[in-house]
Amino acid sequence: MIVAGCDVGSLSAEAVILNDDKILASEIIQVRPLPEQSAREVMDKALASIRLTYDDIDYTVSTGYGRESISFADHNISEISCHGKGAHFLVPSIRTIIDVGGQDCKVIRIDEYGVLQDFTMNDKCAAGTGRSLELMSKYLGVHFSELAALAEKAGQTITITNQCGIFSELEIMHYLMEDKNSADIAAGINEAMARRVKMLVGRVGIKPEMTITGGVCKNTGVVKNLEAMLGIHFMPLSEDPQIVGALGAAVFAAERFKRLQKKGERRDTN
Amino acid sequence: MIYAGCDLGTISAKAVIIRNGNILAVETLPYKNLPKQAAIQVMEMAKNKAGLTKENISYCLSTGFGKKAVPFADKDLPEFLCLSRAIHKLDPEIRTVIDAGGSTIKAFNMDSSGKVTTSATNEKCAAGTGKFMEVMAQALEMPIEELSIAALESGHALPITSQCGVFAESEVITHVNEGKDRLDIFAGISLSVAGKVAAVTRRISLDQPIAIVGGLAKNPIVVRDIEKELGISFVECNLDPRAIAAYGAALLAEERHAS
Repeated sequence: MIVAGCDVGSLSAEAVILNDDKILASEIIQVRPLPEQSAREVMDKALASIRLTYDDIDYTVSTGYGRESISFADHNISEISCHGKGAHFLVPSIRTIIDVGGQDCKVIRIDEYGVLQDFTMNDKCAAGTGRSLELMSKYLGVHFSELAALAEKAGQTITITNQCGIFSELEIMHYLMEDKNSADIAAGINEAMARRVKMLVGRVGIKPEMTITGGVCKNTGVVKNLEAMLGIHFMPLSEDPQIVGALGAAVFAAERFKRLQKKGERRDTN
Repeated sequence: MIYAGCDLGTISAKAVIIRNGNILAVETLPYKNLPKQAAIQVMEMAKNKAGLTKENISYCLSTGFGKKAVPFADKDLPEFLCLSRAIHKLDPEIRTVIDAGGSTIKAFNMDSSGKVTTSATNEKCAAGTGKFMEVMAQALEMPIEELSIAALESGHALPITSQCGVFAESEVITHVNEGKDRLDIFAGISLSVAGKVAAVTRRISLDQPIAIVGGLAKNPIVVRDIEKELGISFVECNLDPRAIAAYGAALLAEERHAS
């Protein structure tokens, strides 16, 4: 049985192909203008890497922001459930997942079966999301992937007091006007991100084991700040944390396909 | 004696030079990344227009977001003070002022002596500000000046559901990718901005006559939508609405230096 999960977010798209419980392929791309284009491109890439075609896939589940407009998916499931499922597949002892993606920041609580128990997410405001981090980095004149390395050179942390992403940009501009050290500002950006995420975690509560997923977890500065603020250590995942949503979708695809097969067998024997 | 005021905002730098209360020069300079240089440059432009050199200016006050960064200013003052001083000089009848600027929305009432009696400002969030509008125009890849006139003709504004500028930008990009009319998108952005400006203004009393100043006052579609939203008509101020605070700073420079 070969199944696929495809996660189309606001900034990146991921695809995971599973053969029973084994990951055959996983790919990440930057999104294209339309969700369908992103989904096709990332799936094409994943399939090509293991020389399979769409016909070889028994069942596909889509997830993420663009999940409803993906024509090749058999079913779509919310990214909240998929993240829980994917994290549970990798480390069954995980109970809390913090997912900091491009447009949202979610805190997800799951039970010992990987089933969703509770969750919270940012609404109305982009503070604490990858997009906000990207904007602030851009103003500092670095790519957001370089932010952690820059912050490591900081002698001190310049606190970013604004919560709004657009105003934070202005605040950074202000510090640059005063000839403040850009490494110190970078440290402030990471700290501000962590502070905002911590506020969201407070709504669901801290229940170990915890892990962090989504693009922003690649910024070690944000992760270290958050660990210190929460007083915990995140469980490392054996796979790229950015693919957890797509992986969860693939696990759901496997479960759904097995159920369909059973139904089919029952129908056959009748 | 010659006096100057410089208002260094988040989107543009403004300079006004006066002699005996009469305006010699008014200049506005939009800038991208270097506010300090923009302040220096806009003051040079104003001096050239007035036919002056630096030595001619007796005293200069700065105001606005970057007031501390204006290198040639003798002192800086808060925006409220400069705005109310200028408005009282331009039209002492005005009782309500909306200042829709790059990063702040302010609304205040003034009494007949020019004193600010009540005020309200936006907090924390960039929704409804000039910066918000600028981010959206960038997403539409068209100059804001062009959009704000052309979009007046839009028959059906596409509503923007997110208040947050970061999310609204994504909404705009989605609309563009779906091939929606850019003018309809911009008309929707204008409604969102007008709604937010009106919400701040409703926190004070709408005493007539009412003036609008700041960068958004130069934006015909936003001005129209704010008027509609609040059910009012603005009065004209006889000065570039972006330069009001700089003018107030120049007036206060003259008064304070004299005393």
